[in-house]
Amino acid sequence: MKTRKLKCLILLFASIYSGNVISEENRIAEDKFASVRDKLQTCFTCHGENGASTQPTYPILAGQEFYYLYVQLKDFKSGLRENAIMSPLVAIIEKQDLRLMAEYFGEQKWLGTDFTASPEQISAGKKVVDAGQCVACHLGAFNGNSRNPRLAGQHFEYLNKTMLDFKNKQRNNAQPMNALFGTFSDDEIKAVSKYLAGFKD
Amino acid sequence: MTIQVKKKGYRSFVKGGQVIGLASLLMCAATQNIYADEEVKAGTLYGNMNTVTQRMLDRAGSDANNFLHTNGNYDQTRFYPAEQINRETVDKLKRAWIFKMEITDSLETSPIIVDGTMYVTSSFNHVYALDAKTGKEKWHYKHKMGPITTYCCGPNNRGVFPYGGMLYMGTLDAKLVAIDAATGKKAWEKQIADPELGYSETMAPTVVDGKVLIGTNGGEYGIRGFVKAFDAASGKLLWTFHTIPENSVGVWATHDATGRDMLRDIEAEKAALKKHGDPYKTLGGGTWQNMAVDRESGRLYFMAGNPSPDLYGAIRPGDNLYTNSLISTDMDGKYVCHFQYIAHDVWDLDAVSPPILTKVKDKNGKMVKGVLHGGKTGHVYVHNAKDCSLIRHSEAMVPQENMWVLPTKKGKRMLPGANGGVEWSPMAIDPSQDLAYVMNIHQPMTYHVEATPYPGGKLWLGGAFKVIESEEQWGNVTAVNYNTGNIKWQVKTHQPMIGGVLATGGGLVFTGQGNGLFQAFNSSTGELMWQDQTNAGVNAPPSSYNVGGTQYIVVGSGGNAQMNFKRGNEIIAYKLGN
Repeated sequence: MKTRKLKCLILLFASIYSGNVISEENRIAEDKFASVRDKLQTCFTCHGENGASTQPTYPILAGQEFYYLYVQLKDFKSGLRENAIMSPLVAIIEKQDLRLMAEYFGEQKWLGTDFTASPEQISAGKKVVDAGQCVACHLGAFNGNSRNPRLAGQHFEYLNKTMLDFKNKQRNNAQPMNALFGTFSDDEIKAVSKYLAGFKD
Repeated sequence: MTIQVKKKGYRSFVKGGQVIGLASLLMCAATQNIYADEEVKAGTLYGNMNTVTQRMLDRAGSDANNFLHTNGNYDQTRFYPAEQINRETVDKLKRAWIFKMEITDSLETSPIIVDGTMYVTSSFNHVYALDAKTGKEKWHYKHKMGPITTYCCGPNNRGVFPYGGMLYMGTLDAKLVAIDAATGKKAWEKQIADPELGYSETMAPTVVDGKVLIGTNGGEYGIRGFVKAFDAASGKLLWTFHTIPENSVGVWATHDATGRDMLRDIEAEKAALKKHGDPYKTLGGGTWQNMAVDRESGRLYFMAGNPSPDLYGAIRPGDNLYTNSLISTDMDGKYVCHFQYIAHDVWDLDAVSPPILTKVKDKNGKMVKGVLHGGKTGHVYVHNAKDCSLIRHSEAMVPQENMWVLPTKKGKRMLPGANGGVEWSPMAIDPSQDLAYVMNIHQPMTYHVEATPYPGGKLWLGGAFKVIESEEQWGNVTAVNYNTGNIKWQVKTHQPMIGGVLATGGGLVFTGQGNGLFQAFNSSTGELMWQDQTNAGVNAPPSSYNVGGTQYIVVGSGGNAQMNFKRGNEIIAYKLGN
């Protein structure tokens, strides 16, 4: 895992500083994302083509709503959310470009994963969802909205880590999640992660 | 499937209702003669009603053809005078039509009916005009949503308000939209407040004398609550009443409206006030539901909800005026009086359900103009409309335990849970019986606190509410005598109740459950008289209307996000069959 992360990091910095991954000829004149195309390419390195991540520890971005993604990028920039890879990357990008990048991923189609949860996992996960009233914000099909991320069909590994990070205060940019996950056991968090990763509307 | 339950005579219950009864009977007879044909274009008892006039809105309480207000009339009684569907005939109540909307999600719309045309809304601010007799679509308006919507508890909308030739709607991206009622085309839209800071709209506005009145959601995001008035013709902002005054400290009240000690640490709060100053700019206090309008005195009555953040009080010292309060202003938004139920609330047991104006007995037995409110605490509160003072509160309608234990990090169990008692669901009354009909939630929760600074427009709870998943949840429909505070009857329901109630001149109370049952109860005894199993949670307030001499009952069956009741997309109208 560590080697993969290191590789990813090297690739990221290489591409963001080289800046010319997409040639000028391929740019469409009216392309509103023209100024961020090369930066997006950097994102694809870990988050997959167009943000449809196939690596289980990297979240799928394609199809999350624009404003949720933009807030996360702003939070990385301000230090409210910390991540060894994302924080230094975002630090060197201007807010207007972050906005465009968030828009880009918001316009992509959500592809999800083919994760399937067992009936036991579904039953255990549903209990957590009911206790936490998750649907009040993430909505009934867990598709999220401009403030709350889509959870249905996200990678299990990413969901599990994120919820544990909230619980252990490693991630602190959504305070009610710190308080809520502080009340759940690691097993409950695992169960709800599987339930949501495999959730089909 | 329609299940016949039981029928019983209803005439014996009527006290003051006989005059209305005769009038509506004559009205039915007259309309039946005139409108024997299929189409009802225009012309009812009041003449052409395609344009909703101020006079029509003023007399809506005795109008047995239309349903013009979110809650029936300016007094918000949700008492519909028609009697065709009554205790003797309700067993013949059948589905007349079903309309399926595009969006399948949480459905809280109050159907509005103007001269045979029905206006309903769905989640994400879609509006439909339907032929009220057939359910056939006339037009469909989809609001073009901005990129930022900030809402707690589902992408809901509770309906439009008709005035002149327009319909007015608040949107999830915090706009006020005016729509041409005839065509479904947008006339104008105005930004009410900044959604990035947590403002959004789910309530239907109320329009009076050319002013569109609307509050705001956002008590979970650190907004500063308000009621605003906009010019109905131009959309120009006329005035703003802040539900949070610049001095929000109050009188350091130690006990709630029912006399229970709220265990406040006043000394610590005073020290915090000295250190941090008045927290009014981010103190919450949303107004989620329509205001009652007293046309006689020219006064408005509305509720203000919880302080922000919900559970963490140390950061917001003082009584947090006017959160958790009944507020009255004049028609220009000038403060007249308020009554706070829970000062410095740290449980979100706030004031959401819309107030009702009616004559009540004061403490000396004298009839005075009163205001009723159903609280999340599980009490119906009865006020003197003149000065907002509390006359009495009802006995508790749901179990109350461990009140007011302070939230802790590990969590403390207290009943009611934070959804109530009475949530946003509007009550109904039958003034001839002195009864208020109230829907309640029993959903045990633990309350968890965590110190959290203002997060700049993000969700700000200051902790967490956690449903105790292993404990049974249920609800009830309760009839409260507001002149004594006593419960007259109570029906336990399978599901916690959220949506709304309609009482009718036929001696019935209509309401729905999260399991899809839409039911009619005898308004005097609570006896179940009729029910229909629908495909999704019935969590919207019912309306009633009359087309061509036939009375209809209509309700949305689309479930609820807050309580996670099964979603659907149906508007269902009922009428008497053979």
